[in-house]
Amino acid sequence: MRDSWRAGSLIAALLLQALAACGAERESPGATSPVTVRALLSQDPPSLSLLGKPDHNSEIVATQITDSLVQYDDRLELLPRVAESYEFSDGGRTLVFRLRPGVRWHDGRPVTAADVIFSVEQARDPAVENRTFAPQFADLVSLETPDERTIRARYSRPARGALEAWRLPLLPRHLAQRGAELLTGSYARHPVGCGPFRFVRYRPGEEIVLEANDDYWDGRPHIDRLVFVIYPDQRTAFQALRARDLDIMVASPDLWHEARLSAAATRPESFVYYRLNLWQIGWNMDGSNPFFADARVRRALLLALDRGQFIERIAHGLGRPGVTSFHPDLVWTDATIEPLPYDPGQAGRLLELAGWSPAARGVRERAGRRFRFRLMIGDSSQGIVDEMAAWLQQSWARVGIEVEIEKLEWRQFRERRLAHEFEATMAGLSFTPNPDQFELYHSSARDAGFNYGGLRDPEVDRLLESGRAADDPVARRQIYFGLQQRLHELQPIACLIHFATPVLHDPRLRGVVPSPIDHWRTTRGPREWRWVEDLAGG
Amino acid sequence: MLTLFFVTLVVCCLIRLAPGEPLGAGPEEEIGMRVSAAARAELRALYHLDQPPHRQYGLWLSDLLRGDLGRSFHDRRPVAERIGERLGVTVALNVLSLLLALAVALPLGLLAALRPGSTFDRLAGGASYLLYAVPVFWAGLLLQIVCYGRLDWLPLAGLRSPESEYLGPAGRFLDLAAHFVLPVLCLSYGSLAYLSRFVRATLIENAAGESWRAARARGLSLASVLVRHGLRQAGVPLLTLASLLLPGLVGGSVIVETVFAIPGLGRLFVESAFQRDMPVLLGLTLLSGAATLLGILLADLAYAVVDPRVRRA
Repeated sequence: MRDSWRAGSLIAALLLQALAACGAERESPGATSPVTVRALLSQDPPSLSLLGKPDHNSEIVATQITDSLVQYDDRLELLPRVAESYEFSDGGRTLVFRLRPGVRWHDGRPVTAADVIFSVEQARDPAVENRTFAPQFADLVSLETPDERTIRARYSRPARGALEAWRLPLLPRHLAQRGAELLTGSYARHPVGCGPFRFVRYRPGEEIVLEANDDYWDGRPHIDRLVFVIYPDQRTAFQALRARDLDIMVASPDLWHEARLSAAATRPESFVYYRLNLWQIGWNMDGSNPFFADARVRRALLLALDRGQFIERIAHGLGRPGVTSFHPDLVWTDATIEPLPYDPGQAGRLLELAGWSPAARGVRERAGRRFRFRLMIGDSSQGIVDEMAAWLQQSWARVGIEVEIEKLEWRQFRERRLAHEFEATMAGLSFTPNPDQFELYHSSARDAGFNYGGLRDPEVDRLLESGRAADDPVARRQIYFGLQQRLHELQPIACLIHFATPVLHDPRLRGVVPSPIDHWRTTRGPREWRWVEDLAGG
Repeated sequence: MLTLFFVTLVVCCLIRLAPGEPLGAGPEEEIGMRVSAAARAELRALYHLDQPPHRQYGLWLSDLLRGDLGRSFHDRRPVAERIGERLGVTVALNVLSLLLALAVALPLGLLAALRPGSTFDRLAGGASYLLYAVPVFWAGLLLQIVCYGRLDWLPLAGLRSPESEYLGPAGRFLDLAAHFVLPVLCLSYGSLAYLSRFVRATLIENAAGESWRAARARGLSLASVLVRHGLRQAGVPLLTLASLLLPGLVGGSVIVETVFAIPGLGRLFVESAFQRDMPVLLGLTLLSGAATLLGILLADLAYAVVDPRVRRA
């Protein structure tokens, strides 16, 4: 009996040791093992076809596997990549690209103009469901290929802003399927591109593994492998990062703050940057409610918010007050316009002027109607949204306004907003570096665009139309400066806060360069990352 | 079978009645990312969203009769593929957690029933209620912090270590086993608590019966009566309970799968509901319904094994 217990204990101990060895901390990449960087992806991309059903995650992966004719650098300048050069002519209606020689697909075949044409055709095919690039080719009339390295694109009207659309990921015509089959065929299971990394494998729900393309035209990446690890829970990912099982992740403000307070031995490196996004409140100005048609009321509601305090105390300083929907880091932004200050006194005066006077229990009234409205918010993975909603309620209560928060599941929120069945909404908004915000403010964009609140201002419409048509960049800039002044007066949406994006990474990972796009999708993305063992040597 | 199809029809109607469509951008919209009205109409036709619910259900049913569960709205992959790649993991996790729960709950319930009201019985009862009350996500995070963060005994999450591709078959198996430990613990402690109290209550209820008094009168010890007679008598209600747990084996736990980054059916179900991915939801409903029917059938067969009276009848 005693012998069998001893034998059993020995076996159990050996098993535990084996299990522990399996769970041991990952060793640093040595001289013989590939240099691998493990990055967090919060969920599976909808498609690995590089063009179909894109979301932020799939675009991050796509830009590593394949290239495009042009790409943003970290200062938001569009640089030629697979295109060696480009030229506008015919008053901006024609755009000609000349392809760079020596760019090859991962199977060794050269990238040709026919591949570019094919990629555009697929992007414009509704069955591919590409929401990112398809709308940007709306004015494209024809595409021609005079030779294997030349593409001539003709537009129905001057298209100075059309260059951005050519960040389109390129697909190999000889490998990728067409239409709906692009999403369902063999290519979507094993995409082939011309980018700095080759696709190795995808395990749904677990990881996407890429390896360095030794023959990349712009130089082999410094790392051997790039692995996207799928962790749906941020705290799990954070623990992995601290134990060096994960190398880089975008963190929530709370985790970023916790990381900075952690012990030096386990503290990850961190930096923050500002992406092109904004948290904003949209007011329904179509007259279906008595509140928000008046610009004085909209202005007052923003004056009643101490955004600085919220950013400092709740967001750990990771944000800056919004001014207009033009991001502070863009060249098109008028830096002379200041954000509205926190001034509840002025807010009260404006509300009085608009006819809303304090009545019973401090809530304002006008013609017997209390100032009480419903703020609709969508379910979001960002925990700070609930805190923002509570902060808004409390801030506006101090100036005599009652707010009820209506939180909806995202798709339901979207349907209600599309149907204009709301009084006010709060949501995030992302932008590209293109200054054209026609879809956000033009009076024609109420149903077809993002002008959910129904702004109808002839001056705003005129400026938006002029901005689209302007050839001269200097003149165009002045038009957009004028637009920003007008929007600042009208406050059609309350540009609340630009939240910063905190990034945590292993101190041995170097060369991560942020940009307002993000740290993935520019010319200085993972291709330039390096793994440095000797931290003292840097 | 009729019940099964009725359930899937109800699910189909509920999804169609829910606001929102599978088409459209995620929570942060990007200016410029707007599908044209024409493109949207084409997509609605592609997904049969322009059809009334009963017609859409009929299309799904006709595909099902040909053995085709359709394609996911989310990523257009076959539903059978999406479910199949997660089914094995979910079943393995849930079977292991059920076995662990039974392995602990049976002896615990037995020992507690041996001396009702004793110190051990009270401690076991208190511990069971405490375990039952602990939220799964809290337990999961705590286990991760202790077993991974502090003690470095077990892996954090996922199904395999980064270096598993360099291991042999035995190494990969042990690696997988190590990754299962924490999720299985999290999945089992709640049902363990419930099962142990159930076994205890059933045994105590039967202890006052005539068969036990007769067995004791023949000179059998209380422990022998518990094992020989008590377990057999508790087997029938326990089997009924187990049959109800069978659908849960394929149901998955979205919380455990999220905390431990397990690609399981629980997460798939919740994600598909948010995405309005009707084909996947119908496929999962079908699977769950089939598991329920199978559980009932297995329970009926097991009754005959456990209770001779059922066999004679």
